[in-house]
Amino acid sequence: MPQLSINGQSYFTDSPPDSPLLWVIREDLRLTGTKFGCGGGYCGSCTVHINGQPVRSCQVKLGDVDSNTVITTIEGLDPSDAHPVQRAWIEHEVPQCGYCQSGQIMQAAALLAANPNPTTAEIVQHMNGNLCRCATYSRMVTAIHRAAQLAREA
Amino acid sequence: MGDMKTPRQGMTRRDFLVRSTVVAGSGFLSIGLPGLIAAKDAQAAGTPAFTPSIWFTMTPDGKTTMHIVKAEMGQHIGTGLAQVIADELEVKWADVRLDTPLESVANFAVYGLAYTVNSGSITTEFDRIARAGAAGRIALIEAGAKVLGADAGDCIAKESRVIVKSTGKSVTYGEILQKVTIDRKFAYPNDFKGIALKSRDQYSLIGKSVASLDIPAKTNGKAKYGIDVFLPNMAYGALVIPRTRYSSKVVSIDDSEAKKIPGFIKAVKIEEALGKCTGWVVAVADKYPTAMKAAKALKVKYDAGPYAALDTPTLLAQYKDLAKNEKESAAWVLEGDVDKGLSEAEKTLEMEYTTDMICHATMEPLNCTVQMTNGEWHVHIGTQSTSFARMTLTGYLATVLKKKPEDLKVFVHQYLVGGGFGGKQDYDDILAAAWCVKEVGRPVKLIHTRESNFATSFARTPTYHKLKAGIRDGKLVAMNQDIVCGWMGARFGVGKKYGSDWLQLDSVDGRNQDIDQWSIGGSDHWYEVKNHRVRAWNHETTTWAVQASALRTVSNSYNIFVVESFMDEVAHAAGRDPLEFRLAMLNGKGGNRGIPNSGYAPGTPSDYYMDRLWISLPWASENSWPNYESATVGGALRLANCLRVAAGKAGWGTRRLPPNTGLGIAVTAAEERQSPTWVAGIAEVTVDPATGSYSINKLTIAMDPGIVVNPKNVDAQIRGSALWGASQIMSERLTLKNGGFEQSNYHQYQPIRLAQVPEIDVTIIASDHHPSGVGEPASTIVAPAVANAIFNAVGARVRHMPISPDAVLEAMKKAKA
Repeated sequence: MPQLSINGQSYFTDSPPDSPLLWVIREDLRLTGTKFGCGGGYCGSCTVHINGQPVRSCQVKLGDVDSNTVITTIEGLDPSDAHPVQRAWIEHEVPQCGYCQSGQIMQAAALLAANPNPTTAEIVQHMNGNLCRCATYSRMVTAIHRAAQLAREA
Repeated sequence: MGDMKTPRQGMTRRDFLVRSTVVAGSGFLSIGLPGLIAAKDAQAAGTPAFTPSIWFTMTPDGKTTMHIVKAEMGQHIGTGLAQVIADELEVKWADVRLDTPLESVANFAVYGLAYTVNSGSITTEFDRIARAGAAGRIALIEAGAKVLGADAGDCIAKESRVIVKSTGKSVTYGEILQKVTIDRKFAYPNDFKGIALKSRDQYSLIGKSVASLDIPAKTNGKAKYGIDVFLPNMAYGALVIPRTRYSSKVVSIDDSEAKKIPGFIKAVKIEEALGKCTGWVVAVADKYPTAMKAAKALKVKYDAGPYAALDTPTLLAQYKDLAKNEKESAAWVLEGDVDKGLSEAEKTLEMEYTTDMICHATMEPLNCTVQMTNGEWHVHIGTQSTSFARMTLTGYLATVLKKKPEDLKVFVHQYLVGGGFGGKQDYDDILAAAWCVKEVGRPVKLIHTRESNFATSFARTPTYHKLKAGIRDGKLVAMNQDIVCGWMGARFGVGKKYGSDWLQLDSVDGRNQDIDQWSIGGSDHWYEVKNHRVRAWNHETTTWAVQASALRTVSNSYNIFVVESFMDEVAHAAGRDPLEFRLAMLNGKGGNRGIPNSGYAPGTPSDYYMDRLWISLPWASENSWPNYESATVGGALRLANCLRVAAGKAGWGTRRLPPNTGLGIAVTAAEERQSPTWVAGIAEVTVDPATGSYSINKLTIAMDPGIVVNPKNVDAQIRGSALWGASQIMSERLTLKNGGFEQSNYHQYQPIRLAQVPEIDVTIIASDHHPSGVGEPASTIVAPAVANAIFNAVGARVRHMPISPDAVLEAMKKAKA
């Protein structure tokens, strides 16, 4: 039975190796913060971190990862749900319906990990693959700048 | 909309009235209302909870739970409604909680119709929930006075505390409930009528941007949507994409390949009833990836049905033909004598406009989970109407199981809605999941793949418009608009033809014809045009073939594009400035003055069409609700004011613009004539004359929604809806080919992305007037403002939505020729 390491915990799943990682995370392991949006890598709702990189989990097969792969989902982004991006998201009340927001937050957190002080242009480029049908876009940009500031202050 | 025939057939209106008077009675706890678990515990401890009306419950710990029947789909509506109640109740905001009633026959009789639609939640609920809060405060003051040994007249309430004015002594709400039982009940509407509400300057929470209560859980993965439900022994369903959008029939299913997939359970042909789920086969499996794989492996043969060869160009050609038959039209607006006005004009202008289909494409695909246990059907879903969901499933099960509706026990559990926009008020998925449950004997979670979600979209109809204007002395003296599209109402049984007069309007041409206001509204604009006529035709094939549906602002979403583009054309043809031309006609005269006073004379129907159509509930007997001010107060003058503000802020007529750049104007009073929100917008657009591609640089928007409950949330909704409008003019396009939708995922159907987002300048003109809805109206003005800006930038008039770069190029060529 495949073993996975997600948010620092070990999980086992009986899903076949060709299962998209997204569905294993969501339905087998019940970490439902990771959302299904399109299944084609177009929307970014299912973004998780794999070895620190933002990845569309609908495009990764279970067989592509193993227990040495470090997978982080929204639930494990911060032990107290207080990652600078999460704090900035609350401060600026970014979410509306909220469905895409886990993916947005994971995408944004990965940006700040690689680039602690991104320009607006860099933010736009990095976040452009993540759809938000409520169009909370401009608050996201504001919140990412704010998160960068929060991280620096920490 | 749900199956609107169901409530009429299943239960008479009188039944509702009788039941809804039994509000908060002794049977209250036994039907398991939410929030009352706490109340029950408290009762066991000897101190009962305080539930003076159906809208909230206060427990002796001082916590107040607001019972919110409106769906949370990004408006933070629970927070907004709770702010209104809490303000009048004088409860401490930190003590406020929210919950949602379970949808059942019993709770429906208490709470009425759970339906979130038409940007109507604040507009329709504001008055009565304010009164509910005030009623609670009155009862608490009386009880608190008793506890304090004071005269109630000497007491006030503030921050969950009753205070004696003369002595300064006080007691908290929680302490009051621990000491005395307050058994006062206020039934809607009669007990609400005499209750005095706060004046605007006394508000402490209304008008404040308090943090929305639903937000934190949406940042850490804890928020629960319908798709996040798990039930014991649950199986998964994935839909096989039917041959056509509607009316295919399954001839045979070959499951030999699917059977080779471990975990595959069954190919379920969904029993069709009520015209739903036509041609649906669901692959049921133990896991969702397996279900998806099996759905692909199933070989289904279809009789492709009557729409098998239909495509968008054919529809539009048929619309144009239909509009030639003027005798078959139904008039929606008829003022003055349009033919005479046109014949006396110095100059006439005649144009055709068309719009493509779009769809909701919510980020959360349609899904639901159904369980049958102990003879009860439980539906778990995030939906715009748990009530219609329950009624539709009840009607379906009664038909397919040959049972009496009253013998069926159906419950609907509401979750967060991952985007609604009008797209979560159809219930085919629930019916299909329920049938799968019956077939496999296990709970089933049915999830649409993005592909099957697109394939079964409920589309905004394509439309065809013919407009004619008569100009005399530089004025618009006559205007005719002919509209052909697929009327959505027919799908919900609205119309005499379908045996229902509910929600039905008659034509104004004296011929008593059906009119579907949701397909025509928006053409009844607020400009003074002496001779004005709007005629409409229903293309019924469209209604069924594309399953025509409401989509954010409903018909305003195309009619405002058409009307406001055409107004610009008329202004230019009349040699007038489009701003000055509009302002002159937004004079608030005649029928465009709005309701001039506050409220209604006793005995006159409410101006709010949702009240009139019984969507806003609980259902008081007609004309019996307390009078409250109409959102139409001020009329077109408020719209003119918004336009002045937006134009001024955008620098209309005063700025030096970069090359190939133009400003464009549009106004709207969506949603309906009876429930307007006044909005004006200016778009600044730059066109690349070599390619025709264009970008929106800036949107300047001014809205007067009356009282603003939560400014930050209103601002968010204006921005979101404005970008929805930008998205539909730039890139969203759904097309029909061979009876099916051509676009299958977000690479082909393209909502706006971050890189396309313009600067947006929002001005909220808060006023003292009754609040209107803010979730949709601004979405209508962007498309025409952009079209008008493109014209002003490079002289290209595009009379089709969306506007493609090719269309801009072609229009530029035409303009030069």
